[in-house]
Amino acid sequence: MRFVARQPKEGINVSDTHPLVEAGTLVVGLTAIFVIIAVVLIFMVEVVLYFVSAEDEAKLFDGWLPEDLVTVSYTDERLLETQALVDRLVLHWPDAPYEFRVEIDDSEQANAMALPGGLVIVTQGLLDEVESENELAFVLGHELGHFKNRDHVRALGRGVVLSIFFAALTGNDVAGIGIKSADLTLRSFSRRQEARADDFGLQVVNSEYGHVNEAWHLFERWGGKDDSIIDLVKYLSTHPDSGDRAATMKRHAEEKGWQSDGEITPLSW
Amino acid sequence: MNFGMPLLILMIAYFIGTHLEKRHFQSILKREDEARGFPVVSFDTMPDNWTASRSDLVSGSVVISLDYFKRVIAGLRGLIGGRIKTYEPLLDRARREAVLRMIEDARSQGYDAVFNVRLETSRLANATRNGKGTAGVEMLAYGTAVKFASRFANAQ
Repeated sequence: MRFVARQPKEGINVSDTHPLVEAGTLVVGLTAIFVIIAVVLIFMVEVVLYFVSAEDEAKLFDGWLPEDLVTVSYTDERLLETQALVDRLVLHWPDAPYEFRVEIDDSEQANAMALPGGLVIVTQGLLDEVESENELAFVLGHELGHFKNRDHVRALGRGVVLSIFFAALTGNDVAGIGIKSADLTLRSFSRRQEARADDFGLQVVNSEYGHVNEAWHLFERWGGKDDSIIDLVKYLSTHPDSGDRAATMKRHAEEKGWQSDGEITPLSW
Repeated sequence: MNFGMPLLILMIAYFIGTHLEKRHFQSILKREDEARGFPVVSFDTMPDNWTASRSDLVSGSVVISLDYFKRVIAGLRGLIGGRIKTYEPLLDRARREAVLRMIEDARSQGYDAVFNVRLETSRLANATRNGKGTAGVEMLAYGTAVKFASRFANAQ
């Protein structure tokens, strides 16, 4: 018998599946799985919220700080002033179960966050941006509204879901960033939460100053500003559209009969 | 918004990667066809009555890298397990390229065949991310190249 050298058959060690088909199957399948997991976890967060009171939560997170937070010095003047402002605003929420702590995040991007245990985080960017105490008071009141409705725990619960997703997707240890960004991003999915927090913020501002003048001025400025499109886009990704928001608040204040003009309290910085 | 950039890189990686892979396979097929008559076997001994006039170690090695697209798809696959189909052609290319290079090494030195062929692979750690990432994979093919004593050479 004569041996004839032949080429081996192609494709034994290589699958026929087109890489794009493989990619599509994985993306669609995994997305479905994650949506299911997310829905279940969000439901579980609601269950936990039902059983864990705000007082228990405050105890549990007493003194807690996110690990990746870059804060300013304890003696920072703006930190002390903001803390004092929060303490004053809380007087209009007498049965508040939290001892509110303020921390300033060393970030240029204007934002504010409500985190478990009564931790209010405002960014340097926000403090640079606000023009009067009334504006700042509204943003802080809005965050207090999140505490009142316990949105911050919901956001954190969802944040954990998203950070697991990020970590799994990139194989990276980004849990901290995940929680932070998820806390910001996922709130935009719940405009009702934001609107309720806005209402509470307005109510607090009205009780404190006797009027709601300038409360939504920040959003009017952002709504009409075109040159800082990047800032605007960033902010919109976490909160409702600024223009709409200012209009909604104006309407709400009119319905409640809150005065929309009054003396503006300047900032000390 | 945040997913735009990675998606763009993913698409670029896919198109470039697919193009390069196609070209490499064409080159492999062409060179395999040229090397077809050259015996490359995994036996560690020659048949009893054969004799060699000289022999030497020959090797062929290739280092391949994962493209971003393959890496992402494999990462997704890693969540649920199963065949990482995007890596299969990559490693198939590496194996065949390594063997081809070994054959070229043997031929350039005038040998007639390669016995005792073995394949080995090792992961090259990435310098970034504390060596956790994979920069690429090395595929090494090596064997004993043999020059047959003249009567066998004639018999061929």
